[in-house]
Amino acid sequence: MTRIGIVSTAHMHAHSYMSALETLQDVTVTGVYDEDTERGRQFCEARGVPFLGEMDALLDESDAVLIAAANADHRRCVEQSAARGVAILCEKPIATSVADAAAMVKAAESAGAPLYMALPVRFVRAAAELRKIVRAGKIGRVLAMTGTNHGYMPGGWFIEKAVSGGGAVMDHTSHVADLMRWIVGSDVVEVYAEIDERVHNRGIDDCGILTLGFANGVFATLDPSWSRLKTYPTWGDVTLEVVGTTGVLTLDAFAQRVHVYAPAEDGQATHRYDYYGDDMDLWMVDEFVRSVRSGQPSDMLATGLDGLRALEVTMAAYESANSGRPVAITPWQP
Amino acid sequence: MLRALIIGGGAMARTHAEVYAQLADASVVGVVDPDVRGRQLAADLHVSYSESLSEVDWTAFDVAHVCAPTPWHRELVVEIAKNHKHILCEKPIARTLADAEAMIAACEQSGVRLMIGHCVRYFPEYRRAKELVDSGRIGRVAIARLFRGGSFPPTDTWQDWYANRHWSGGVCVDLMVHDFDFLRWLFGPVARVFAKSTYGESNRIELTLATLRFHSGVIAHVTGSWAHTGFGTRFELAGSLGLLEHDSFKAGTVSHEATVPHAFDVTQGIQAPRTHVHKSPYRLEIEDFLNAIVHDRPFYVTAHDALEALRIGLAAEQSVLTGMPVDL
Repeated sequence: MTRIGIVSTAHMHAHSYMSALETLQDVTVTGVYDEDTERGRQFCEARGVPFLGEMDALLDESDAVLIAAANADHRRCVEQSAARGVAILCEKPIATSVADAAAMVKAAESAGAPLYMALPVRFVRAAAELRKIVRAGKIGRVLAMTGTNHGYMPGGWFIEKAVSGGGAVMDHTSHVADLMRWIVGSDVVEVYAEIDERVHNRGIDDCGILTLGFANGVFATLDPSWSRLKTYPTWGDVTLEVVGTTGVLTLDAFAQRVHVYAPAEDGQATHRYDYYGDDMDLWMVDEFVRSVRSGQPSDMLATGLDGLRALEVTMAAYESANSGRPVAITPWQP
Repeated sequence: MLRALIIGGGAMARTHAEVYAQLADASVVGVVDPDVRGRQLAADLHVSYSESLSEVDWTAFDVAHVCAPTPWHRELVVEIAKNHKHILCEKPIARTLADAEAMIAACEQSGVRLMIGHCVRYFPEYRRAKELVDSGRIGRVAIARLFRGGSFPPTDTWQDWYANRHWSGGVCVDLMVHDFDFLRWLFGPVARVFAKSTYGESNRIELTLATLRFHSGVIAHVTGSWAHTGFGTRFELAGSLGLLEHDSFKAGTVSHEATVPHAFDVTQGIQAPRTHVHKSPYRLEIEDFLNAIVHDRPFYVTAHDALEALRIGLAAEQSVLTGMPVDL
């Protein structure tokens, strides 16, 4: 039995990670710690797992933890978990500052605790296939990429800057920035961004376009906007187009969908997408559990350092939007 | 009966000529082009042919269509303006702002009317988008994404001029200028532009990604590509109440597939989108041009609009070359 604990249910992904753990064989969910007792108890009641009032009590009983805390709490949760030597899968973004992220990576390193990031797009089968085609040279040399990670405005603590560190750009840059790095095998060295609050008027950035320059000369744009409203047929998207010297590849990670036309409550016609593809969270959690069980590092999961690299892109984007100029990234060195 | 002279013999010259074939009260009377393509077009249309404007009978026509490569626009428009003929000139208005300004000044001085063929304003999907945005249906637009592109222009154009960025301006000036004009039409003047491109790639590829920031606050992302295949356009306009999207690749009204290789020869010359409508966007454009002249009405798209679209295209090019955002 591999013993997995859940640290915080602040992020809604705690639910999908829990569902993944329920699906997997030979896994015990040791319990849930949540700094918000009421929220944690409700989660545990719904899921039939024990609630633990102290994180240390959970860590005592766990081989590994899934951290689904709010962004600004990641550092505290990771450092406390790492100190106990458990393996960690931490929700993205890794933190709300590069300094915090660096402290987390160092803490995990020095404690010998494996630190992975919940960047599940790597587990979209089509994304892995696209990477394989690129790496096989089938589209020649990669020249440029355009990516999107649109979404609903999530509300709650996501739009409280002190807790989230930022809005759409903080929330959505990590996924596609990591995907791009993973595909081209090169780091982002320059970022230009236009960022604003124009969709929801909630006092936090909700739309933008990032332009990324990679060390190997590839350039890319990334649209992390919360530009999907309830009138749109689905929550959002993850798309990527890779243009090479001899071909073009496109990824639409949620293209596996049935179009549903059915009456809304007021009887008006609606059109919704019903996604039937793989659950990327399930395959990510499966890989994490396998790694914990075998004691072997995963070469598929994004590491804490990958999470830090994605956050460097995010922070450079905010800096660029403030200064109006491209920002060079000085990569943090472990 | 309005009589038109066409200058040029390439794909757009043929497109303009095809429109005249459908008009009851206007016709092409001559083609001017130093190149064999123009000679062939004149022969196909059974109209007079001249190698240059110096041979033209200026009493034989009423309006002139400039469908020559971009670097020739200034010389041709200035010469036609001197001879007091109204002009429909293909986009982009010119390769440089100085050329564009000289063209506009020459026409104003001669009392000649100059329209630039920003045909996207006559494409029904773009007109509908403009109407929907103006109606407030999607609220205040926050962010726009546009794509325009396809394969690199073929080598058999006049001296392969599209491949020479000093002549054509590349994707920024020749292609994305459509989207720049459309965006400016909807969202007003542009504050700054940042762009990256594949300049320097030798194997007939150009891809440019541009971010525009408008004074109105709208953020726009425009992809211009001669690095894909075929030709197509897309737009997505996201607002505070809703979202518009269109994809020409998914808007085909007739599609066919060849079950025997080469059974269809569907592409020749520069590829342009085909929308199956009774009146093509090019026909609407030319009818608007002719009606505006006959009835002394303003053009739907002015030469000034075209100059501003060029200014954005040149700013994108400058941003690519300098690596810095360019303020307008």
